[in-house]
Amino acid sequence: MASTEVDRQVRISKIAGRYLVFDIDDVAYIRRQHGICAVFTGTMPQNPTQNVFLGLPLELYAEDAKMLLDRKVAYIADDPLEHLTQLKSMDDEMRKSYLQSIKTQRRTAQLVFNEAKAQSMAKHKDKRKPKQPQPPVVVPTELPLPASSADDVAAAVDQEEGGAESLLGSSSSKPVKTDSSTPPQKPLVKEKLPAITPTTSNAMISNGTSNPDVENHTALPLYSYLNERGYFITPGLRFGGDFSVYPGDPFRYHAHYMANSYGWDEKIPMLDLVTSGRLGTAVKKSFLMGGQKPATENSEAGELRAFCIEWAGM
Amino acid sequence: MAIGSLLPGHQGKLLARPTSTRQQPSRSVSQSPQTQDCLTIVANMSADQHLQALTKVVLNNLENQHDWTQVQIHIQDNLPRPLIYGLPPKRLYVHPDEQIDIIKAEKQLNQRVPQEPELEWVLPLHLAEKWSISDFAAVFDAITAIPPGGESVNANEDAQWQLWRGPKRGKRILLATVQDDSTVTYYWMHNGLVKPRQN
Repeated sequence: MASTEVDRQVRISKIAGRYLVFDIDDVAYIRRQHGICAVFTGTMPQNPTQNVFLGLPLELYAEDAKMLLDRKVAYIADDPLEHLTQLKSMDDEMRKSYLQSIKTQRRTAQLVFNEAKAQSMAKHKDKRKPKQPQPPVVVPTELPLPASSADDVAAAVDQEEGGAESLLGSSSSKPVKTDSSTPPQKPLVKEKLPAITPTTSNAMISNGTSNPDVENHTALPLYSYLNERGYFITPGLRFGGDFSVYPGDPFRYHAHYMANSYGWDEKIPMLDLVTSGRLGTAVKKSFLMGGQKPATENSEAGELRAFCIEWAGM
Repeated sequence: MAIGSLLPGHQGKLLARPTSTRQQPSRSVSQSPQTQDCLTIVANMSADQHLQALTKVVLNNLENQHDWTQVQIHIQDNLPRPLIYGLPPKRLYVHPDEQIDIIKAEKQLNQRVPQEPELEWVLPLHLAEKWSISDFAAVFDAITAIPPGGESVNANEDAQWQLWRGPKRGKRILLATVQDDSTVTYYWMHNGLVKPRQN
C-alpha cells in the first residue's frame, strides 16, 4: 500500500478547461496525502437532477492541479484528444483486451450481486423462520416460482458460476447500474452477466504523460501557503469569499477562515473588508486576506502576507 | 479629475471615491501641467487636513464613546499616517488559545487570573479608502507588538499564559473605519493566520 502511494501519479483530466479526477483511489490519495478535497461534480445517470450527493468526477481548482503538478505527483491529460487518438488507432488486440477488461468488471459486479443477494436471502430466511416452519429456500420474492426456476435451470447449464448467478440475471427488476454496454460486445459474451456502465475509461487509455499547462492559478501563493500549513480549502462562495479554510479535514472541523487572495498592490475598498469582516464574524469565522510580494531582481520568491479581520466587538 | 488620484501613496486615495475616479480620463485631458502642480499642492494640503480630521474623529470617539484612557497620537517616519494607541476600559482581545492557558493557570494557581486591559494600536481609516496588502504590510512592519509604554506592564513572562501579553505576541491593530456621518466601527486586524475567537 505504502509503496504504491509513493510513486502514484494522479491522472488529472483536463476537459473544457476544467481539471477532473475520475479515479476514486486518486481522490482518496490527494485528500489523505495532500489535503485537497475539491468538489465532487458527478451525478447519477438515473437521476441527474439530484444534486445533493454528488460523486465522481472530482473537479479540482486550477491551483490544486498546479500544486500537484509542482509536487510531481500528478500529470495532466488532455482527455478528449487522447480518447480520440486512442479510439482511432486501436488494433484488434487492444480492442480485445479492452473488451476483456469490461468483462472482468461485469464479473466483479456479478460477484457483488451474488453476495448481496445471498445476504438478503439469508436475512429473509431468518425473519420468516418463526412464522413459517417450511419456507421456500430459492424462491425470489418478486417472481412466480415455476417460471424463474425453469429459467434458472436452463441458464445454469452453460455457466461455471451456477444457478445463483442466472437467477440474478433474470430477476433484474432493480439493477444497480444501467445498461450501456457497447453493441459489438454482445456476440462475444456467452455468460449472462449484468450490464454495467463503466465509470471510467481508464482501461482504454494508456497512462500517458501529456502535460498541458495549468492556467489561471492566480490564488496559488495563498492557496499553497495554506495547504502547506495543513489547512483544507473548499470553495467559499457560501460564506462570501473565494475559499473557506478548514484547520483539518472538513469532515471533522468547522472552517476557521473565509479567505480572499489579492495582488500585492491591488487596491481593496475598505467597504469590502468591512462587509467581509462582518459576514465572517457572523458565521464564526475570521476573514483572511493574503497576497504575495512580486519577485524583484534581489529576491525571487516574494514573501506572502496574510491578515485576519474580525469584528472588534466595540 | 479627482484631486486625490494625483497623489502617490494612500494620502491621495482617501479622497478618491469610486464614482469620481471612473470619470478621470475625459477630464484630465484638458489640464495643463501647471494646473496639475497646483492641484497637487492643494491636494497635499487637504490630504493632510483630512488625515488630521480623521485622526481627531477616531480619537474623540475612543475617548468619549468608548471610555479609552491614555489615548495618544503616534507619528513615525515609516508610517503612512498617524496611528493612535490607548488603553481600553476592559480587555479587548483574548486569543482562544490564551483563554485555554488562562483556565489552566487558574486551576494550577487556584485563584482567578485578573485580565487587565492592554494598550492597543488603532489605525484610523475612512470607509471610502482603498488599501492594498502591501500598505497593510508596511504598517505592520513599522510597529512593535505592544505600543510604547505598554511593555513595562508585562515584565514577568515565566508562565505560558503570560507570553500572550509579552512583546513577542502577534501584532494586531484595531481598524477604526470612519463613515461620512462620523460613525466609527472597529475591526481587529491580525498579522498572519490567527484563528477566530468563537469557533
